Amino acid sequence: MNQHQTVGIVMIEDDEGHARLIEKNIRRAGILNDIKHFTDGTSALDFLFNAADGPAKSGPAMILLDLNLPDMSGTDILTRIKAEGSPLRRTPVVVLTTTDDKVEIERCYDLGCNVYITKPVNYESFAQAIRQLGLFLSVIQVPDVES
Amino acid sequence: MVSVRLKLPSSEGRVARWLVAFMTLGFIALVAAAIAIGWITIRNRTYTAEILHTQDVRQAIARLQIQMEQSETARRGYVLAGKPLFATAYARSAGNIVPSIATLRRLTHDNPAQITRLDRIEPRFVQLRALRTQSMALVASGQIAEAQRRFAVDASVPLMRGIRYRLQAMAADEVRLLAIRTQRQQRSSALFLSVAGLAAALLLVVAILAILVIRRYTADLAASRDSLRELNESLEDQVATRTADLSRANEEIQRFAYIVSHDLRSPLVNVMGFTAELATAAGPLADLVDRAEAEAPHILTADARLAAREDLPEAIGFIRTSTQKMDRLINAILKLSREGRRTIAPEHIDPAQLVDTIIGSMQHVIDDRGAVVRVERPIPAVVTDRLALEQILSNLIENATKYLKPGRPGEIVVRGHKERNRVILSVVDNGRGIDPRDHQRVFDLFRRSGPQDQPGEGIGLAHVRALAYRLDGTIDVQSMLGDGATFRLNLPSALTIQDITA
Repeated sequence: MNQHQTVGIVMIEDDEGHARLIEKNIRRAGILNDIKHFTDGTSALDFLFNAADGPAKSGPAMILLDLNLPDMSGTDILTRIKAEGSPLRRTPVVVLTTTDDKVEIERCYDLGCNVYITKPVNYESFAQAIRQLGLFLSVIQVPDVES
Repeated sequence: MVSVRLKLPSSEGRVARWLVAFMTLGFIALVAAAIAIGWITIRNRTYTAEILHTQDVRQAIARLQIQMEQSETARRGYVLAGKPLFATAYARSAGNIVPSIATLRRLTHDNPAQITRLDRIEPRFVQLRALRTQSMALVASGQIAEAQRRFAVDASVPLMRGIRYRLQAMAADEVRLLAIRTQRQQRSSALFLSVAGLAAALLLVVAILAILVIRRYTADLAASRDSLRELNESLEDQVATRTADLSRANEEIQRFAYIVSHDLRSPLVNVMGFTAELATAAGPLADLVDRAEAEAPHILTADARLAAREDLPEAIGFIRTSTQKMDRLINAILKLSREGRRTIAPEHIDPAQLVDTIIGSMQHVIDDRGAVVRVERPIPAVVTDRLALEQILSNLIENATKYLKPGRPGEIVVRGHKERNRVILSVVDNGRGIDPRDHQRVFDLFRRSGPQDQPGEGIGLAHVRALAYRLDGTIDVQSMLGDGATFRLNLPSALTIQDITA
């Protein structure tokens, strides 16, 4: 494990506003890691698994994932990431979505999601949650991708 | 609605009625034939008895003839030969004559002609007997010659001839009677045969008619059963189709509600988020205006001051409260749609105990509001979903403690009774009551009644009604403004899963 390697944050979120709010609050929490933003599942998966500078090929990453995407369900992406034999299966995934359905949350944890955060409409709670996530991001150890 | 009329074939009905009428007639004729046969049989028996009687009479006559002849022969033998053998033969035959005559008289007492003949025979026999006794006595005393002489001259022969002649007449008469009676019996037998034949024919006809009628009715029954089954099947199909339609529509509404509420939250997050950003951004701006006012008042316009100090905070405040309210409403819809998808699990519940639990869990609220909640026992047990019933009752009790009439301490009573296979649970309060115009409205989503002095979104009773429907029940309210309200929950006493899915 390389302590000095920077951990990239991959944010898969179709709502530009949400993405902006998430980014702002992450920055406010003092997290300066690189954030890559994708608004659809296809390009996000392509980056995750195939891009030269993507997490599968180089460097550790953590993924912020929204479940409601225009082209596929976030759970599909989660399944791909956490699938047996996937190079990213140890990459932490934070599901950040509006769904607070119990069944959906359980399903995400079953699929291997590491943290599940419901986007609260109350902005203070939302900002608080993101900042806490920022703290979380600053302390977690992200494993290297297996080559 | 499906209207159903069973078709009754009228012409066939008439035919069937005729058939039944013929059959009834046939049965009546059959009974008549049976009576006739019985009567003929009785008559036949009488005829047979008469024939037998005639035979008896003939036998009696023949016996008397033989006795007469034998006794005469024995007497003559005795007179001629004097052998005692003839005397005993005579005694044997002659002794039977008197009883024979009596028998004959008894047998022919209903026949005057025969009685007349007997009346003629009897005196002759008496005379003859006297002569016979005389000659037998003479022979017995050894005076055979005297006996023979007297025999040659006495009236024995003509008497005997007279008796013989009359007995023959009697026999001939009986033969004639026998012929008549035999003929009569034969005629009766023939009649019996023809009546029996007629009855058999009738029986055959009635049997055929009966079979026809039965076959027709069986066919009618089968036809109506078939049409009923067809109807039933089509009804079942219709019901199944409608049920499927309904549940599909229901599912669609649920999904719609879920998607709408869910997808509405997404932009709402943005509105709230950026409003907060705006509020944050408005802070430095207001500071700038303050500083400008202090340091360079000439650059500050009245509009800018107003915008920074009043318009911006006011706008942000309204956006905030509205989005918060919208969030609550969306959450309410989401909750309702989720409630509709929850699996109902009926179990045995004692409502009184459940109400105790509810009261216990909200005791502090009840106390704060200065109300008293009482359970009127006994409340009949009910089989239903515990969580749903608990939510309904706690909503109703919460409402009852919430909308009190000012100046009157709240008094809430929960009671229940059974009506056939339903259980009615009532929550009665002495609160401010509901205007009768609003009795339906209060159960609608986001609708409230009376002064809006209590927090709430108008969700509770909508939720209660949705839950009540879910439990195959109903809910209504009886109330007058200012006079308290009675909410009545009508539930099946035993909810089954079939009731819910059907």
